[in-house]
Amino acid sequence: MSISDHQAEHAAPPLEDLNHRTDSATRSLVSRVHLEHGMLRMLVLTVAAFAVFTVLNPSVFLDPLNITNMAVAAPEVGLLAIAVMLAMLTGGIDLSVVAIANGTAITIAGLSAHHPHVGGAGTLLIVVAGFLVGLLGGVINGLLISRVGITPILATLGTMQVFNGLAIVYTGGKTLYGVPAQLTTFGQGTVARVPLLFLVFLLTAVAVAIVLNRTPLGFKLMLQGANGTAARYSGIRPTRVLMATYLMSGALSALAGILIVARNPTASADYGSSYVLLVIVIAILGGTNPSGGFGTVAGVVLATVTLQIVQTGFNIMRLSNYEYAIAQGLILIVTLVIDQMSRRRQATRPRKPSPQEAAQ
Amino acid sequence: MSRPTLARVRGANNEGLVVLVLVALSVAMTILNPEFLSLNNLFSVVRSSLVPTVLALGVLMVIIAGGIDVSFTAIAIFAAYSTVLWVGQDSVGLVVLLPIACAIGALLGLVNGVVISKLRLPTLIVTLGTSTMFKGVLIAFVGAKYIADLPRAMAGLGNANLLSIASGKEVANLHIFVVPVALLCLLVWWVLSRTMWGRSLYAYGGDPEAARRAGFSVVRAQVLLYTAVGVLAAIGGLMHVTLSRNANPQDLVGSELDIIAAVVLGGASIFGGRGSVLGTVLGVFLIHLIQNSLILAGIPSVWQRTAVGAILLVGVSVQALSAKRSSRKVFAYADEEQVAA
Repeated sequence: MSISDHQAEHAAPPLEDLNHRTDSATRSLVSRVHLEHGMLRMLVLTVAAFAVFTVLNPSVFLDPLNITNMAVAAPEVGLLAIAVMLAMLTGGIDLSVVAIANGTAITIAGLSAHHPHVGGAGTLLIVVAGFLVGLLGGVINGLLISRVGITPILATLGTMQVFNGLAIVYTGGKTLYGVPAQLTTFGQGTVARVPLLFLVFLLTAVAVAIVLNRTPLGFKLMLQGANGTAARYSGIRPTRVLMATYLMSGALSALAGILIVARNPTASADYGSSYVLLVIVIAILGGTNPSGGFGTVAGVVLATVTLQIVQTGFNIMRLSNYEYAIAQGLILIVTLVIDQMSRRRQATRPRKPSPQEAAQ
Repeated sequence: MSRPTLARVRGANNEGLVVLVLVALSVAMTILNPEFLSLNNLFSVVRSSLVPTVLALGVLMVIIAGGIDVSFTAIAIFAAYSTVLWVGQDSVGLVVLLPIACAIGALLGLVNGVVISKLRLPTLIVTLGTSTMFKGVLIAFVGAKYIADLPRAMAGLGNANLLSIASGKEVANLHIFVVPVALLCLLVWWVLSRTMWGRSLYAYGGDPEAARRAGFSVVRAQVLLYTAVGVLAAIGGLMHVTLSRNANPQDLVGSELDIIAAVVLGGASIFGGRGSVLGTVLGVFLIHLIQNSLILAGIPSVWQRTAVGAILLVGVSVQALSAKRSSRKVFAYADEEQVAA
């Protein structure tokens, strides 16, 4: 500590105050830059993936139709990945998201098969009914995890099987065709050449980001995942937080289900069976810590776009789905390894004592 | 009945409870459909439980060590299919087939073990990733064809029976594989209860930090664990191919949950540190008996998946609720001690 600091401390308390304030401001700025560092990685990856496939086959990859197709296919997977991210933030996982989305999609397709010519209001009713079915799935997950106290892995493994099983019972294992015409029109709609489905995805992502960063619930959710014991001693009720988490992940999955039938007017119990891995890969690649406490919606959105680019790129390169699956597995494990390494480096780096601690 | 006796009947891991459910189900089913009690039906349930039992032994070890593995089915079919593809119809015996499959299984298991233990990553997510990679590599690079002609040594085993008992018009056949499966169960039981490595799995699953401080080499134990699970999976895969008399690379993957459900129902705790071979065998048998009962009771097969999921949920709910109760008891004790002090 220099002499001038000493003088300042004794002579002018306001200056000390200012000093502290500057210090805390700098700290928060540094932490924000660090956060954006993770985002930067994601942005670089997105641009790199785009560049690679553009170079490999520019005529097909840059075709506006191809870009539109990517923007229409990504939203459902992106919403499911955000749903999984929410569960991971609390230190859990939700394996039932795809089954819930299919439940919503099948409800909508099933209802519209019974009521083929409904108007706008009827369509809305059918969509709301489908959404409620998905939400019910979230409620069941929430009850099992928060009230009964089953670990999220087992609870959602079980409900995934039950929801999927009920879907098989309802459809008899067949594909259901046909949804209300308005829904299909919505699925094909665009605003300024941006597909409506993609806009729904972005708006929902912004809404979830606001809940996470600007509301008490979001704060509690992060704290629950970062340190459950500390959260409990701070007066946060784990039952409520967990219930809210799985309710939100159910709602997001239900919304994804609506997008599925809006994009493609069919629904079946085994739709998206490869999505369970994909959405976990996206959540992890987007910087979510699977042990809880850290994750950003923006990271997951960018990861969704990246994976969609990779998938489309693989298709253009005429690589099979199995090769894409291998790539997914590799991306997952490499990201996990890199994240774990950097986390460990941070943990072992000696922490500088803050001025308050030094003063004590 | 006094309390200690009741506790003994219930068993350390609720094995008694599983037996009770098994008996109740059997009685109910016998009343519903007398055919249920026939030797023929019993042997067919045993036959369908053979492969799942072998796979479940591996899952049991992982769960005891506090992990969860979903890649064992991919390893099983990878090892079995590539062995069959490689050997072709050569008249090599099991002496050659089995070591090849086991080596492939061990290698894939080693990949899991190294990634999980060296980097301390979440087991579910790692194995989900490796599972997809193994299946992808199998189909994209090894082979995607259905193989109907098995190596002669395996083709012959498909119909080999240990016991053939004529009952009425039908002949009840007990497949020869009950012998190796029983031996494997005994082996795993012996390893888990009598070897230092087996005990280290319980220790690690119960409390990783305590195990480390007690001097167990956690990395070595885990690498060995996932390698062993790979070998068990490979044996299970070979048995599956032998019993179904064809090698289909699309088989097995997707049935992980049924096996994990069986192990959890058999009393193994998903938090690690608890579980027994006896409970696991009973759990596998219970799941297959229930599936068999659904068919005999005339319930459409579309309900099978729902049934297994519901059984899993009920089983883990009972565990979770009793865990909650016992944790409250611990707190009550602590309070009493405080009062006493």
